[in-house]
Parts: sequence; C-alpha cells; structure tokens
Amino acid sequence: MKSTERGIVSSYDMKKPLNKTVYVLMCIVVAVMCVSMLYPIATALFNGLKANVEVNSFPPHFLPQEWHFDNYKKGWSFIDLPLYLRNTLLIFVGNMVVTVVVIGFAAFSLSRLDWPYRKAVYYFFLATLFIPPTTYIIPNFINLRDLHLMNTFWAFWLPAGANAFYLLLLKSFFDGINQELFEAFRVDGASEPRVFWQLAFPLSVPIFATLAIFVFATSWNDWFWPSMVMGGEHYPLATAIKKFVIDARRLDLNIRFAILTMIMIPPIVIFLIFQRFIVRGLHLGGVKG
Amino acid sequence: MNQTTAVASPLGAEATKPRSRWTKHFWGYAFVLPAVAIFLLFLWLPIVKGIVFSFYHIDFVKGNTYVGLDNYKLIFKDPDVGTAVKNTLYYMFLCIVIGFWVPILFAISISELRRFQGFARIAAYLPYVVPVVVLYGLWRWLYDPVGPFNAALEKVGITPINFMTDKSWSMISIVIMETWQQFGSAMLIYLAAILSIPRDWYEAAEIDGAGVWRRIWHITLPAIRNQIGLLLLLQLIGTSQGYQSQLAMLDGGPNNATLTYALYIVKYAFNSFNYGVASALGVLMFLVLGVLAVIQHRLSTRGGNAA
Repeated sequence: MKSTERGIVSSYDMKKPLNKTVYVLMCIVVAVMCVSMLYPIATALFNGLKANVEVNSFPPHFLPQEWHFDNYKKGWSFIDLPLYLRNTLLIFVGNMVVTVVVIGFAAFSLSRLDWPYRKAVYYFFLATLFIPPTTYIIPNFINLRDLHLMNTFWAFWLPAGANAFYLLLLKSFFDGINQELFEAFRVDGASEPRVFWQLAFPLSVPIFATLAIFVFATSWNDWFWPSMVMGGEHYPLATAIKKFVIDARRLDLNIRFAILTMIMIPPIVIFLIFQRFIVRGLHLGGVKG
Repeated sequence: MNQTTAVASPLGAEATKPRSRWTKHFWGYAFVLPAVAIFLLFLWLPIVKGIVFSFYHIDFVKGNTYVGLDNYKLIFKDPDVGTAVKNTLYYMFLCIVIGFWVPILFAISISELRRFQGFARIAAYLPYVVPVVVLYGLWRWLYDPVGPFNAALEKVGITPINFMTDKSWSMISIVIMETWQQFGSAMLIYLAAILSIPRDWYEAAEIDGAGVWRRIWHITLPAIRNQIGLLLLLQLIGTSQGYQSQLAMLDGGPNNATLTYALYIVKYAFNSFNYGVASALGVLMFLVLGVLAVIQHRLSTRGGNAA
C-alpha cells in the first residue's frame, strides 16, 4: 500500500478546499469509529478492575478510581474455568482432527483421484450448502439423541466432518497444486495415503491453518447448540459463561466483567498474532461463499 | 490416471500392469467414504427426518404418532407465527438500513487513509473477535437504563431510553449491537476489493475531469458490485435465520417484540417440547430460504469466476 501514490483522491484534489474539508471530516469519522470499537472493549477490561459500587454508579467512570486486581481471583474461584476451557479445547482438537482426516481426504479424492460418479458425489456434498442449518436444527437435535450421542464429545466431533463449505475450500486449494508433483510421487511408487500425508497435506498447511482459525472461532464462540446437546460438566467455555455468569442472578458486576475479560483476551491475542491468516480466510469465505 | 501410465512406462514395468476396476479406484472410494457416511448421518438424515417429523407428534417416552397435517394447521392458526414472521422481516430490514452500508462506507474511507490504515483495519475488526457471550454481558451493561449510553444522552439533554425494555427500541438495539460486532469482517472483504482496483483508472478519470464523487460512483462502487451483491444475499440468508442475540439478550421479549421466526422454532422445541410443530416450522422456512440460497450460489459462482 505504501507504493501507491494515490487512491481515489489525488494530491491535486486536496488543493480544493471542499475536498479537503470532506477528507478531514472522513478522517474524523474513521477516528470516531475506531474509538467506538475500542471503547466498549476497554470498558469491559476496566469494569473488571473496579469496586462493585463504582460499576453501578451513575454516571459511570471510564477508568477505575481504585484498582481491584483481586476481582480476577474472585472470578477465578467463582467458576471452574480450567474445566470448561479443557472441554472447549477438546472440542476444538477433535473437530480439527475430523476436519483434516474426513474432509481433507474427501477433498483430496474429489480433486486428485479419478473414479466413476465423482461429479455426482461432489454434488451430494455441495447440495447441503443450499439448506439453511436453522431449518433442520430440531431434527438434528433429535437425530443426535436417537444416535445416543447426547452429552458426549462425539456429538461435536462427528458432525464436524459434515461441512460442505470447508470441503469446497480444500478442494479448490488441492485443484491449484501442480499436477506434475503428484505424478512424480506416484511414479516413485508412493501409495495414495502417502501422497496425501507427504505431499498434499504439507503443501496445504496455509489453508488448514485458515480452517483451524474458523474451527477455533466456532468452538470458542458457540454457546447455544452446546447448551442443548451437552450437560453441565461437559459445557464448553462459552456455554458455561452464558449459563453461570451472564444469566447469574447473584453475581457482582465487577466480578462478572473480570470473568468476561478473562475469556475475551485469548481470542484477541490470537487474532493479533495470526492476523494475516484470518484476513485471508475471510477473503476466501467472501469470494467463494 | 491416463498420464500415469504414459509417464511410468519407461521407468518401471510394474506400474503398467493392468489392474481391475476395483483396485484401480480403491483409494478414490476409500478416501471419500467416511465423508459420505458422515454427511448422510449428520446432514441428510436430519434433513429428511425434519420433513417426516413435521407430520408426526414427537414423544420421546411414548413414541411418535402420525398426525397428518395437524402441525401445519396449528401453525397457520397460531397468531404468534405471524408476529414472528413480521419481526424477522423487520429485523432483516433494520440490518440493511442500519448495518449494510456501514462496511462499504468505512472500506472506502479506510482505503483513502494515508496513515494508520492498518490500525483502523484492526480496530474495526477487533469486536468480531470478542466472543458473543462477552458481547451479551457487555452490551447489557452499556444499554442499562443507568449505563454509559444513557449517561451520554443525559449530558446532551435527551431523555433516557430504555434500550432493552422499550418495545420500539429493543430490536433496533440488537441490530446496533450486532452491527458493532460484525461490520469489520464485511469491511475487510470490501477493502480487499477496493485496494485491488488499478490506480490508473482513477488517474484516467481525473484527467477526463471526473470529480471525487463521480470517481467513487462510476469506478469504486461498480468495481465492488459483485461483493456488494454477494454480501447482501449472505446477510439476508443469515439474518432471516437470526435468533441467538434475541434469545440471549431478551428471550424474545419485551412482549414478543424480538421474537424472530427461528427463535420461535427453538421455543416450540425446547420450551413447549413440541418437536413436530418445530420441524414443520423448519420445513416452511426451508421452502422460503431455499430460493434465496439458489440465487446466492448463482451469484457467488459468477463472482468467483470474475475474481
């Protein structure tokens, strides 16, 4: 972006007073947007450090007048975060393994192996994209119940392999890998599983990283579905927070915000570190829909 | 596969040995089979079951009984279904009026920033990373009758607003909250498209005497037309199914003001335990949304080819 000398507006335009005023106004609007994005996040952080009386005072202060770091200790003992974190991570890791093995292999087969009726099977997967998930949310719930998967992690792991969107992303990525590389491997006598693990998978690490971010975001965020499928002990973090913190009747606001801050920070840090992958993933999601 | 034999023959005779049809395609089938099984069991089976269940009364203890069209008749007699449809359309409308233009505006503005472009981009996207459960806790406090928003309103001399409990405000409040959280991701998609527009086009337009507004209108907006169309449809498909914020923030209240259609499905199932009617509601919704999804696919394949 540094190399481009102009955008829509050129330096010549900026000499006109009207354009200049509008440009300055635009910068102010963007600045206001940045502040209004960051302000609520900062209030969550600072409310978690205030005394409870101060959180409830009107009008509210932005910065705490006295800093109560012990709120975090109280929040930590209020809810068993490591237990629910473990559940969330279990769901994430299992979903990721299933995504790589089931969807990865299927995409590889559809993209790189030749067999009869391939096109038909491809549409068998693709057609599921046209059916909005909310329309079968109830039968889906009853189905898991009929399969006796309720309150087990299999209720997340197995359906993780039924994602046509990820399949589409992976297939189009495999399609883009140079065909001659595969031929070279096969000529050397490599079996298809070896071609997958030693060639296709390593070359596709960027796309799997993008998928990992999607899968992580889902397991970190999703609260409603797990609250239906799972019971108390097996709740992932989001569901536990919703049920025991957000809906709690008797919990001081400052402790509440301290807990919310604790589960808000990890995804923000991960985002700031893996920004590039995430932005690329979004782009893929937007173009291929 | 045909190429394999051609390439392999000079290297080794074994590779050219004729193989039966089954062994030749063995790995192709083996790789795709688990996915076929899982798609059948966890997607196609529930979809078909949904249609079947819509004609049954579901009882986990006594077993299911066939009731014909009773579930559908009940739906068309239930006045709350009409309310739910109206609320859903209102919600979709608000999401477009309040939310749809925001990412386009900021994508154009941020693309014109000479400095702090990366910062503005991250700031806009950051709320999207905040887990939704945190969002609910946070915004309940922001919208509180004695929260920061009302404190700010009081300062400018406006009477306080009950963002959550006032019937005419509750849906608007939810849409504002969701826009705050989600516009960043759409903004990044627009921004990428805008930044890939060749600079020469603007140069040429400027030489031809086109002002800044005409450049935006005739170059920038047409260049992101595909993205606008696609995201509009994705938003319509998404918001037509929206229920989680309404459920978490207000449970469909006050007085059914935020009861969306999808939320009504969930409530029929998990509050009234009437899974048959809930399935029938789902089938009806599918018939309407299926049309939208087909249009979306048409557009997205066209967009993908153009990009």
